[in-house]
Amino acid sequence: MDRKATFKREDGLWMLRRMRLIRQTSERIARLYPTNVMETPVHLCIGQEAVSVGLCRHLRDADKMFLGHRTHGPALAKGLPLPKLMAELYGRTTGCSHAFGGSMHLIDLEHGLPGSSAIIGGSIALGCGAALAAQLAKQDYVGVSYFGDAATNAGVFYESMNFAALRKLPVLFLCEDNGYSNVMPKSAHSAHDIVSVARQFMTTLQADGTDVLSVYEHTGEAVAQLRRGEGPVFLHCATKRWMKHQGHEACDIVDSGIDRERDCPIRKLEAFLLKSRLLTPAELVLIEQAVEAEIDAAIQFAESSPFPDPSLLEVS
Amino acid sequence: MPWSRFDSNYEAPAGARDITYCAAIREAIDQAMCLDPRVFCIGLDADDKFGVFGSMSNLTHPDRVLGTPISENAMTGVALGAALSGMRPIHVHLRNDFLLVAMDQIANYVAKWQDMFDHQVKVPLVIRSIIGRGWGCGAQHSQSLHGLFAQIPGLKVVMPSSPYDVKGLMLSAVKDDSPVLFLEHRWLYKNTGNVPEAMYTLPIGKAATLRRGGSLTVVATSLAAIHALKACEQQELDVDLIDPRTIKPLDLDTILASVQRTGRLLVVDYDFPFAGFASEVVAAVCERAHESLRQPPQRLCFPDRGMPSSGRLERAYYPTPERIGELMRQMILGSSIDVDSFVN
Repeated sequence: MDRKATFKREDGLWMLRRMRLIRQTSERIARLYPTNVMETPVHLCIGQEAVSVGLCRHLRDADKMFLGHRTHGPALAKGLPLPKLMAELYGRTTGCSHAFGGSMHLIDLEHGLPGSSAIIGGSIALGCGAALAAQLAKQDYVGVSYFGDAATNAGVFYESMNFAALRKLPVLFLCEDNGYSNVMPKSAHSAHDIVSVARQFMTTLQADGTDVLSVYEHTGEAVAQLRRGEGPVFLHCATKRWMKHQGHEACDIVDSGIDRERDCPIRKLEAFLLKSRLLTPAELVLIEQAVEAEIDAAIQFAESSPFPDPSLLEVS
Repeated sequence: MPWSRFDSNYEAPAGARDITYCAAIREAIDQAMCLDPRVFCIGLDADDKFGVFGSMSNLTHPDRVLGTPISENAMTGVALGAALSGMRPIHVHLRNDFLLVAMDQIANYVAKWQDMFDHQVKVPLVIRSIIGRGWGCGAQHSQSLHGLFAQIPGLKVVMPSSPYDVKGLMLSAVKDDSPVLFLEHRWLYKNTGNVPEAMYTLPIGKAATLRRGGSLTVVATSLAAIHALKACEQQELDVDLIDPRTIKPLDLDTILASVQRTGRLLVVDYDFPFAGFASEVVAAVCERAHESLRQPPQRLCFPDRGMPSSGRLERAYYPTPERIGELMRQMILGSSIDVDSFVN
């Protein structure tokens, strides 16, 4: 497909802004984290931004997405306002989960995020439940189960795919495959080939998870099938985790194969937009600056928000 | 909302029909499904010809009864996801033991979802499950485990003993916007009782006093309550018999008021003894009404080991109305008691 001919500037702008929002927010969190202002385990997704952003460009607010522990990127991509994320990380009452969730438990009902879970795998079933609700109530929203490669080792993955296929549920299984389960490489944690397993149950698609346009194109195909009522789709997005599993430090796994120049989804999109003359170099700078200002404001909001009162723990 | 239409609590009116416990469950589910199109049933064998021991036979809306593969864990997550998306699922299990397969979803997801997000979401999910006993069902088809589930914050645990209670509490459970674990003992299914045909709810967290007396407070739920009642009637004992009906929230006020009158407490609990429901009731009474106790409170539970299979061993393992009655009589007489002799 000739991307230049079909691609719209507004889509490019939206995806660049969202990826930059996720990247720059993650980088700011990494800088602030050692100061202990955020008392919550953070799982950053620097390098993985293309997956959630390419996906969410095709989703509506009514579509319900369930996440695992690596929440920040997909939640921001789906529409969670940044101040609510930062306030939650800072443990303030104005956070999206009112200081009861922390980094791993984000929610935004207005934007189709009914919650996220820190137990690997289980939220796959919840996306299927949302899809079942849509099917039973004859609504046209879809469910999205967003998980990583390690979640495919859990029994709930198999159980959910089987049920979704049996009932032809409008659910997208989105596998953000960053190649590692904590520090364990995929070769050590999965004897199976993930896509081959999924293919036993449903349509499978494979995107380059470091290229937002690849994710965007394949998600378009997947979501169209779901909305036509033709059953579930599995979308595999191979990407790279630049950071450690948890915390603010860069990944230190030897031979991880990460090349931050070659694999950067933001650089890839920017290069495409410049080459296609959809954006100018000056606009790129403005976007980066606008995102920084947005982050400054979100942090100020978080820092000036109240801590929760311990009386909230009283049980009636 | 359709559920506001019948918010009042009925006392079972005299002259209403007598129907079975099983028929009362079926009627509640059918009425709930007819009232509210968001209510649906899901579960292993939910849609087969046996209709979950008859409790879901010939429902008016079979299109909203979904059978599932043997995937209890994911199916619990599916039910939760549907509940978070505006539906009101009733997830059914043929045996309580199967709930343990779904424990990740029940304990980490269903129970915690509201607390994790400061109750911004409703989780109108009922998990129905049936307790087995006897005929060699053994260690993996006879557990109750209500004490285990009640220990997890975020779950209401309901276990009615009568047809009247089971209908009213089932409707309350479906109406509730938080998760309810609804436990039905298989041995209660054929019991009959007075049940109004109209829809009614009973409050979750309110005990029923099955028999009034002044010498001993007995707390017992589900089948144990029926067995204790039978024992009181057989031996004409002066017992205040309280069926909490809901393990959690627990109606401690009713229990404490009774103990303050009788000065004696026995908890008959058809579950394992260690750190269980009986322990909780005894601890709460000791904390709050210690000065009223005339003798040490007692617990009558299952032995602290898995259920055996042989009928000979089963009859020795399980408490019976006769054994409950003997223990109650000895407590009222104030004699020293070796409770283990009533268990084995």
